[in-house]
Amino acid sequence: MQLLTLYRRRLRLLAGNPRELIVPLATPVLFAIVIGPALKKALGSFNPHVDYLTFVSVATVVLLVPLNAMFSGLSVFADREHGALRELLAAPLPRWFPPLANVMATLTITALQVTVLIVAAVARGATYHATASGVLWFVGAVALLTMIYASLAEVMAYRLTSEQEYIGNVPAIAIVPWFFAGSLFPISVLPKGLAIFAKILPGTHALALMRHGLTGGSADGLTAIWGAHGGAASAASFAIVAAFTVGLLLMSARVFRRSAVA
Amino acid sequence: MKDETGGVRVQGLSKTYRGGVEALKDVTFRVGSGEAFGLLGPNGAGKTTTIGVLTTTVRPTAGEIEVGGFDVAREALDARRVSGIVFQDSVVDRGLSGRANLTLHARLWRVPRDRARERIGELTGVMGLGEVIDRPVRTYSGGQRRRLEIARAVLAEPRVLFLDEPTVGLDPAIRHELWSLIGDLRARDGMTLVLTTHYLEEAERLCERIAIMDRGRVVAMDTPAALLSQLGEEMLEVDGASELVTQLLGDRGIIVGDVFRIGSTITVPFRNGDGDAAVRALRDASLPIRSISVRRPTLDDVYLRLTGASLKG
Repeated sequence: MQLLTLYRRRLRLLAGNPRELIVPLATPVLFAIVIGPALKKALGSFNPHVDYLTFVSVATVVLLVPLNAMFSGLSVFADREHGALRELLAAPLPRWFPPLANVMATLTITALQVTVLIVAAVARGATYHATASGVLWFVGAVALLTMIYASLAEVMAYRLTSEQEYIGNVPAIAIVPWFFAGSLFPISVLPKGLAIFAKILPGTHALALMRHGLTGGSADGLTAIWGAHGGAASAASFAIVAAFTVGLLLMSARVFRRSAVA
Repeated sequence: MKDETGGVRVQGLSKTYRGGVEALKDVTFRVGSGEAFGLLGPNGAGKTTTIGVLTTTVRPTAGEIEVGGFDVAREALDARRVSGIVFQDSVVDRGLSGRANLTLHARLWRVPRDRARERIGELTGVMGLGEVIDRPVRTYSGGQRRRLEIARAVLAEPRVLFLDEPTVGLDPAIRHELWSLIGDLRARDGMTLVLTTHYLEEAERLCERIAIMDRGRVVAMDTPAALLSQLGEEMLEVDGASELVTQLLGDRGIIVGDVFRIGSTITVPFRNGDGDAAVRALRDASLPIRSISVRRPTLDDVYLRLTGASLKG
């Protein structure tokens, strides 16, 4: 009940700030409806199983999720600045509730934005061949990746002292990993060292799972990571993303508690 | 001894922050159920840290602390459940309406839905917020926002209400209005009140007992009247020629006990109506004095005598 109250509060505050809803969506949508089709036209056929537009459109989700989570993290600064954070600290609720409620609200906003993004991509010609289980893989990967980045945003927001410092870190945290995750090309074409680095990133595994869910086939990225694609490879990538999720959720709760109590 | 009825017990409280700053040193006091208690002192005295410990946002280094009968270390959730707090700065969500803020607070404190609706209606009336309650808080004036903060803090009918410098930065008219509201609320709900302030008038007006804090310690604790009576009935204040003044008053047999001074001004307490005699003696002596006055003692005098510094800065 209290968690739900905190979740609703965060949603209302996020919804009341159009900047935090629209800005993160702008770049991925631009990618899906302008850059993706242009690349498709320029590069022609990409893979027998999937056209380039569809390939890139799934990757735009992996760009959207971190951007949206980082923008949501800005609300922690607003809470700290306007003092509402102290009301939550003095409230009779467990200290891990506020960060968890923030993550839940980010998850909701992300779900809406991903829906908009997918609809935009389909409208521009992306074609998905998703089964019910494929949709589940996709939704699961989006949810876990969102929780990873939302928790990371919380950790940064509680640790860093100023909004400027936080914003300065956003490109490195939210955008750079996207280029290594197999978003624009399979990670198998990267130099060996960078390919290994890419396999450590949760975004790489999450993207492979999303592609596995929506498009299937050998272009999903699981083969580039594990040398095979199928149930075991999907489960292994899912386990890695889930481990990152649990670790960062726990870290955000811990950092919140430590930053809250002097 | 545990206070089950809604008081506060602080025993041997110390707090040393990382970096070695000792904010509190062996602070001990007890606030009875329904009592209004003030922590008085200048910035840096340790008042806000004390409130932080009592509201579980500051972890004590040592000491036993109970709020409403609950140990703040072992039963923190219960201690927070029976407490309300008005912070120094605004803690309401400015993007939400006053009503949404109050509803949010009610839910966090688990006030039953019907009771919450009833309390919000009641407090909106008492606090004079009826016309603005559905407007976003960012459109409120400073006084309206403060009244909303107080309504929020008492909404869940706390056993103990903490007020951390509740009227700091407000103009005198709003300050007086808030004092009346706080007094009325306390009279009606009978809650325990723990107030920090550096406004003497606020402490005298709202508190039955006061602890004067200085550099992390409680240096005096009593009722305002008892603290004032330590200084006698009147205070002679003389600006200029301080050395000559004390010598002259001593020579004339006018008792000069606790003389204390700030800059060129000395203050002399009198218990036996010698103030007028002292003024006459000083005027007759033609000393290079800029001003002489006799007045009633204040808590600032008490503070000055105990710490050598003025609360008024």
